[in-house]
Amino acid sequence: MQPLANITPLKPAGAIEVRNVGQVFKTTTQDVVALENVSLDVKPGRFVVLVGPSGCGKSTLLMMMAGLRQQTSGTITISGAPIPEPDPNRVGVVFQEASLFPWLTAEENVEFPLALRGVTKSDRRARAQDALKLVGLDGFGKRHPHELSGGMKQRVSIARGLVQDPPVLLMDEPFAALDEQTRMTMGDELLRIWAATGKTVVFVTHSLTEAVYLADEVIVMSPRPGRIVDHLQVSLPRPRTYEMLSGDAFGSLRDRIWRHIRKSA
Amino acid sequence: MQSGFAVKATRVAIVVALFAIWEILSRTGIVNPRLLPSASDTLATLGDLLQRASVRKDLVVTASEVATAFALAVPVGALIGFLIAENRYFADVAKPLLFFAFSIPKSIFLPMFILVFGVGFSQKVGFGFFSTIFIVIMSTTTAVESVKVEHLTVARSYGATPVQTAFRVYLPSMLPVLLEALRISMIFNLTGVILAEMYASRDGIGHQIATWGENFQMKQLLAGVVMIAAIAIAFNELVRWVETRCSHWRT
Repeated sequence: MQPLANITPLKPAGAIEVRNVGQVFKTTTQDVVALENVSLDVKPGRFVVLVGPSGCGKSTLLMMMAGLRQQTSGTITISGAPIPEPDPNRVGVVFQEASLFPWLTAEENVEFPLALRGVTKSDRRARAQDALKLVGLDGFGKRHPHELSGGMKQRVSIARGLVQDPPVLLMDEPFAALDEQTRMTMGDELLRIWAATGKTVVFVTHSLTEAVYLADEVIVMSPRPGRIVDHLQVSLPRPRTYEMLSGDAFGSLRDRIWRHIRKSA
Repeated sequence: MQSGFAVKATRVAIVVALFAIWEILSRTGIVNPRLLPSASDTLATLGDLLQRASVRKDLVVTASEVATAFALAVPVGALIGFLIAENRYFADVAKPLLFFAFSIPKSIFLPMFILVFGVGFSQKVGFGFFSTIFIVIMSTTTAVESVKVEHLTVARSYGATPVQTAFRVYLPSMLPVLLEALRISMIFNLTGVILAEMYASRDGIGHQIATWGENFQMKQLLAGVVMIAAIAIAFNELVRWVETRCSHWRT
């Protein structure tokens, strides 16, 4: 565990607190318990990854942190306050593939959250430019999504999530649709962006390698009903490098996660 | 670019060839020129007709009927289609019924329109409306369903109000499908109005065409056909042009 130098002490925003959260889906035939008694603390500026098999409710948990869905029981607070509805000033969300609006250019997509708040055109453009520069897409603002590669599209999505400068960034399997090489590159890029901005990141993935490579902490979840079965601290030094992937420390962490997932599969 | 040009050139060549075959069939007497006046004669007659005040009046009558029926059918149909698409229960109830209604040939109801509205403006507008509204309802439903859930979630996560979601997500998502619907609706609308005019009317270009046919005025009849075809194609192409400009992002 290491402190992040670029968190200003005046702004203790970005803490996430999940207390005894449960989620029950009512269907016509039965009630499905998606999450049961989930509690979790994320300190400001940490990179936390949620992993688990399909149907463990990790995406559901993320959507509840985003205010896009309400838990049946328990409480969730972001920066100290509950989140009954989406609040883009506190939380930015990066979705899976194909969440960009295809009729807008890259910069218009990034400007979208600002346009909803009525930010002036010139101000919007300037902030979108900054966000695009941050994700390494300087000069691509005028392109439409269909003119961008999969990795570039997800960079635009990240820029859109960051453009309002929220303290928390929630990412729902953002790289799942990318090929292996692009995925590795995007992982490094995300870590660079995270280090530069000091955001709290909660990242959902299926990939164990991605989880260990990116995270400060890995939360392992079990399938229905979704519970937290393990909480690992990843003490590998930063910056993370490709060579660490073949190291013993990396391997033993990945094995430990795999044993949990195999047990429940 | 060159292949695009070649395609266009071939297209023009086919149209020219069709007119040439028409001209030759008539001029050589392979087809009786009284049944099939030559292309050049027909086009000359078309020029004459367009000079005539009565024909212009007929065109204005038809155009106003078409425009009125369209202006009524599109918003009403779009509203119904939207309600159906947004409400699961409505959709379950109404969809099969709409398909039934859509499959019935509308022309069999024409006598009823004459009985209800009498012969005149409202009969034609009514029938045009009736011919058009089902396709508008069904296309709007398709358009609403083409809006992606992911895009709605994104809008919600950035705090979009319902009005912002309507104008910034629904409208641009639906626009290409809606324009296509508009184009196809106009085909149905034009068919409906002209059919109503041909069946029972005192004026309008459809009435003129029917009269020329009954009087065996083949030149005028063919000129009328060419005229209506040109108007229909022009409208169609106009909307298609707007369509391609609005949906360049569609792949």
